[in-house]
Amino acid sequence: MDVKKSPLKISNLVKRYGSYTAVDNVSFEMKPGEIFGLLGPNGAGKTSIISCIVTLQKPDEGECTIFGQNPMDHPLDAKMHLGYVPQEIINHGYFTVEEILVFHSGFLKTWNNKEKIHYLLNRLGLWEHRNKKVKALSGGMKRRLLIAKALVHDPKLLLLDEPTAGVDIELRNSLWEFVMELKAEGMSVLLTTHYLEEAEQLCDRVGVIQQGKLRKVGPTKDLIEQLTQRQVSLIFRGDCANGIKSKYLVDVEDDTARFLIPQDLGIGELITEVDCEIKNLLDIRISEGSLEDAFVRILGEGRDQ
Amino acid sequence: MTITPSMRPFLTLYYREIRRFLKVIVQTILAPIVSSGLYLLIFGVSLGERINLEGGLSYLAFLIPGLVMMSVLNNSYQNSSSSIVSGKFGGDLEDWKVVPLSPTAILWALSLGGLTRGLIVGLMTFSVGQVFFYVMNQQFLIPEHLGLLFLFLMVGGLSFSMFGISIAFWAKTFDHISGVGSFVILPLIYLGGVFFSLDGLHPYWQLVSKANPLLYFINGVRYSMLGESDVSLAVALSVSCASLVLFYGIALVVIKRGQYVRW
Ligand SMILES: Nc1ncnc2c1ncn2[C@@H]1O[C@H](COP(=O)(O)OP(=O)(O)O)[C@@H](O)[C@H]1O
Ligand SMILES: [Mg+2]
Repeated sequence: MDVKKSPLKISNLVKRYGSYTAVDNVSFEMKPGEIFGLLGPNGAGKTSIISCIVTLQKPDEGECTIFGQNPMDHPLDAKMHLGYVPQEIINHGYFTVEEILVFHSGFLKTWNNKEKIHYLLNRLGLWEHRNKKVKALSGGMKRRLLIAKALVHDPKLLLLDEPTAGVDIELRNSLWEFVMELKAEGMSVLLTTHYLEEAEQLCDRVGVIQQGKLRKVGPTKDLIEQLTQRQVSLIFRGDCANGIKSKYLVDVEDDTARFLIPQDLGIGELITEVDCEIKNLLDIRISEGSLEDAFVRILGEGRDQ
Repeated sequence: MTITPSMRPFLTLYYREIRRFLKVIVQTILAPIVSSGLYLLIFGVSLGERINLEGGLSYLAFLIPGLVMMSVLNNSYQNSSSSIVSGKFGGDLEDWKVVPLSPTAILWALSLGGLTRGLIVGLMTFSVGQVFFYVMNQQFLIPEHLGLLFLFLMVGGLSFSMFGISIAFWAKTFDHISGVGSFVILPLIYLGGVFFSLDGLHPYWQLVSKANPLLYFINGVRYSMLGESDVSLAVALSVSCASLVLFYGIALVVIKRGQYVRW
């Protein structure tokens, strides 16, 4: 493994199921230590991309490399650095939570790691359930077991495919907290999620997938800045709001005039442009564009193409 | 022998296979032993009293090696195939694909897991047979060629584990597995000379039986235990080893090309 190389590089990846192209020439590269969000509607091809990375599916064209190694060509090396949390729950009919973690450690050439296993059981709230079989666990616990499994061998790259789907809000928050901790320890994380608000808080960069195509990729902040506008509401005394004129004005309601302004326009410039009497201005409220706004716009543009 | 890190994934999977069948020991070990015990009692002891074989051999002595091999073959097949099928069903199989387990590691771990269960049930069948044999003859049935006996049991058990692997990867439902068990393996075993000797058959049926590869597995074991059998040792040994190589090749291709995504 070459730690200086990108934890994950996807080059011109194509995956077809029969005649249907689920992943259509996707390329992107992760930076070491970042959290990268792969976002897209259901059926966009996110799981197919992850399946190609972990070799559950064979790419039809292109390749994925993990720290410079293609897991198809170097399965035994490349897979050692990989932690994978699948979207679908695994049922493991026969074994208990702790046994599963011990076996999974062994598969990853890791043994005598009781401390690590106990740490993960505790950290993920599975300690009391360690002697239960998987079918006796709740949905949220099954998912936490998958996460524990992915971490027994201290991987350098963690792939999380919708880790919070069907998980209640409290658990979701604690999971994301845990992911931030892992990042702080230097792990690179690729995740897919439906919750854009969470992706906005967590992800250093995101890629937006639609119908198998990568529509946009970039730092989360930059995408929001480029693709959304700030909404500014000016609240006036009396009925002063009614006289307002501006090319940025969206609407006026009672005492409030609402504007959408480009990210690079200063508030001062807006107020100068509006040309109102400052002493009548009671309040200013600004709401920033969100990742969700950017996402909706990207998908809209994608559909028009 | 020291255990290197690269052996860990294989050893873990082998250990897991054993733990898996021990978790359901009633189904995997006890039930097969009870059924072999019943065969020995009904056919060997009860009906066998009235059957005379050439050379003064008791029917029970004839039956024991056949039943031992039948236990090994059946249980080896069952073990590897049900492990894979339940893995496909639950999703465990995906785990094997995303960890550093090579196709040969998977192949040998599953085959040895199946062989282990096969040998346990085979050994127990042999022991039950010994009890009956002692009651009938006031002496034990001492195998003539112990080394050869183990060789044949291992070759048979491994072959059938590998056969089970191939079938399980191909199968799309549980029915496929039990279908092959009841419509292919069981008839081949029954017609492979577990219960009867080729001598008594019409020449036409002798010919048909000789096309059944299981005849050679079973007669290999019979020769090792009794020192005599329907086919010569050299033929039995070559056909058995050739089967092993064939099943190994098929299973390896299947493991390399097979689908690990769940049903
Ligand atoms: N094994 C498969 N066989 C056939 N089609 C599949 C298979 N897996 C996924 N697909 C199809 O490929 C598309 C992308 O699926 P997927 O990668 O699961 O998307 P996502 O994870 O973004 O929801 C979907 O239309 C899905 O129906
Ligand atoms: Mg998905």
